[in-house]
Parts: sequence; structure tokens; C-alpha cells
Amino acid sequence: MNFMQMSMNNHPFHMVEKSPWPLTSSLGMIIMTSGFIKWFHYKILLMFLLGILIMILSSYQWWRDVTRESTFQGLHSKEVYMNMNWGMILFITSEVFFFLSFFWAYFHASLSPNIEIGSMWPPIGIIPFNPYHIPLLNTIILISSGASITWSHHSLINKNFKQSMISLTTTIILGIYFSILQKYEYNDAYFTIADSIYGSTFYMATGFHGMHVLIGTMFLMVCLIRLKNNHFSKNHHFGFEAASWYWHFVDIVWLFLYISIYWWSFN
Amino acid sequence: MVSLCGRAVLQASRRSLIYAQARCKSYEMPDPIDHATGIEKRQLLAEAAGNDDPFNIKPIKRGPSTKDCPTLVPSAFDSRIVGCVCEDEATHVNWMWLHQGSPRRCECGHWFKLVYKAPL
Repeated sequence: MNFMQMSMNNHPFHMVEKSPWPLTSSLGMIIMTSGFIKWFHYKILLMFLLGILIMILSSYQWWRDVTRESTFQGLHSKEVYMNMNWGMILFITSEVFFFLSFFWAYFHASLSPNIEIGSMWPPIGIIPFNPYHIPLLNTIILISSGASITWSHHSLINKNFKQSMISLTTTIILGIYFSILQKYEYNDAYFTIADSIYGSTFYMATGFHGMHVLIGTMFLMVCLIRLKNNHFSKNHHFGFEAASWYWHFVDIVWLFLYISIYWWSFN
Repeated sequence: MVSLCGRAVLQASRRSLIYAQARCKSYEMPDPIDHATGIEKRQLLAEAAGNDDPFNIKPIKRGPSTKDCPTLVPSAFDSRIVGCVCEDEATHVNWMWLHQGSPRRCECGHWFKLVYKAPL
């Protein structure tokens, strides 16, 4: 769209242009999920790797385009900003229900344990993690990162670039530290995803949470690069806001995981 | 084909890596209006000038709405869709096209007229 057309559109809404990325990311998604099936059933990884490569390339280029539209073309007016806010709120709501299903499965299995697992929780033979060791440290790390992202956001609103950079970097380091500890914890586990309903629900819930932490960390890293490159102003920084909401969401999910899965089932 | 694809990928990757970026030495964040561009900036400037509805998308109160004194509807185009809430207690909106030129009457009796307003 050239400048004349832009100026003739006398409305604040963003009429998006043609883009190949919805098509390529849809293809990437179907190839990736089919690849998961091939991986899990036949232990062939190639199709999954192809799918995730297409997904990474598509999402990188799609969000690069969105960045150009907002920062360099100024297409994100107040109305567009508000609509993206609602988009993120609805997305996080859908994520809440995604995790709710795993908690449902967990409570269904644990509140009235079947005879097959010894009528007890954790099931007979399962040695759970001690919640006062690494999981407690992970809780402290994530709550601290929630505080540091808020520090970064307030610095950004107060036009304090340096403090915003420092605290956002701190948040990212805490996120990476969490992922490293989670990997260490998984390596040391006494049970696998194939060990009873405990292993299934535990790894399903904490595994998906771990994926969300990784994605949230990448989202924050993109914000750090954009902050450094002067993409944000004190009242227009939607990418940052969305990333921090997402991070808080991941933080809150961890608190529920810690309380109900790690702490409550540990005797 | 392979070399063509390779070149396309190479060019695309170069394009995204090399772009202008600037930051002043004092590490100050930019002023929001200075930082903005395009329609976003024009909207901010209009609001700074005291116009809180630069695109005329907020509802307008009807005047007498007679044939001689119709309610004026601003538009940058030849026609615009108008929604008339015919009575105070009405539970629905009556929509109609309004064209440049003579005023037009809603079925409830209120008159409207399109007036040209330059785009923002």
C-alpha cells in the first residue's frame, strides 16, 4: 500500500495486506503435528524437524512484518492497539483453559485414586520430587522474574532506558535459569511419563509449562532487541506488554503447578 | 532452482539483519509523538490539537433533522453508511446509504446530508 492510499483511508483501522505467512504457518503446523505422530509412533524425527523449521521461519517473518507495520509504517493506531490488547487477553484466556484441562486430569486421578494405582496418591512405587528442593528454588526464580519484568515495564513507562534494559535482561536470565533447573530436575527424576497416571499428568502439565517458559523467554528476548533498537515509546509498546502478560500467566500457572502437583502430593 | 532459492533466502536474511537504528547517547526514550509515524502520528497530532474524534467514528447527536436543516454527516468519500437511532427508546439501528448531493430522509422522518471533510 502506498502513501496516497494510506492517507485516503480515512479510518484508524489497519487493513492488512496480502501475506504468505498464514499459509506457510498452517502448512508448518500440520507437518509439525503429523511429525509428532511419526516421532512418537515410529521414532522418525525428520518430519517433525521439517515442520518446526517451517514454523520457525514463518513465525519469524510474520512477526518481523508486524514489527515493520507498527514501528516503521505507523499502522497501529489507538484502535488497532486496543484490538490487539483484546486479542492477547482472549489468547491468554484460551491458554488458561488449556492448562485447566491438565489440572482437571490431575485432580480426577489424584482426588479419588483408583484401585489399580493402590488407592493412594502418589501411586504405589512412585517417588515424587521433594518440593522443598529445586521446585521451591524454581518458584522463587519465577516470582522474582515477575517482579523484574514489572520493574522493566515501569522503567519503560518512565522513559528510563537503562533500568528497563537491565531489568529485562535480568528477567530473561531468570527464565533461562528456570529452564536449566527444570532440565536438571527431569534428568534426575525417578519416574517417566510412562510411569502410571502420576507420570502422565505430571509430565503433561509441567512439560507444557516448560514449553511456555521457553516461548515466553524467546518473546522477552525479542522485546529486549526491540527495546535496544528504539522500537518502543512510553505509551506504545504492545509487544512488551503482551510479553509481560504472557510471562505473568506462565508465572501463575507455575504457582498452581507447584502447590497442587509438587507440594500437595508430597507426604 | 536451488541457486535461485539459495539467493532468495540469502537476500531475505540480509535484509532483515541490516537496517537503520539510532539511539542518542544519553539513553533517553523518545517522545511518543516524535517516535510515531503514519496514521498513528496523525491521530496523535489531531488529539494533541484537541480533536478527540479525528476520523469521525463517534456517534453524533441529531439536530432538528428537517429537510431544510438536516443533520450533517462528515465524510472524505462520495458516500457513507449512516445508522439512525430513530427514537430514544429504539432497540435497533436503521442503516442507509447517504450520497453526496441532496439530503436523504430516514424512514422515521429524520433528514441527513453528507458534507465533505478532508481525510486526516
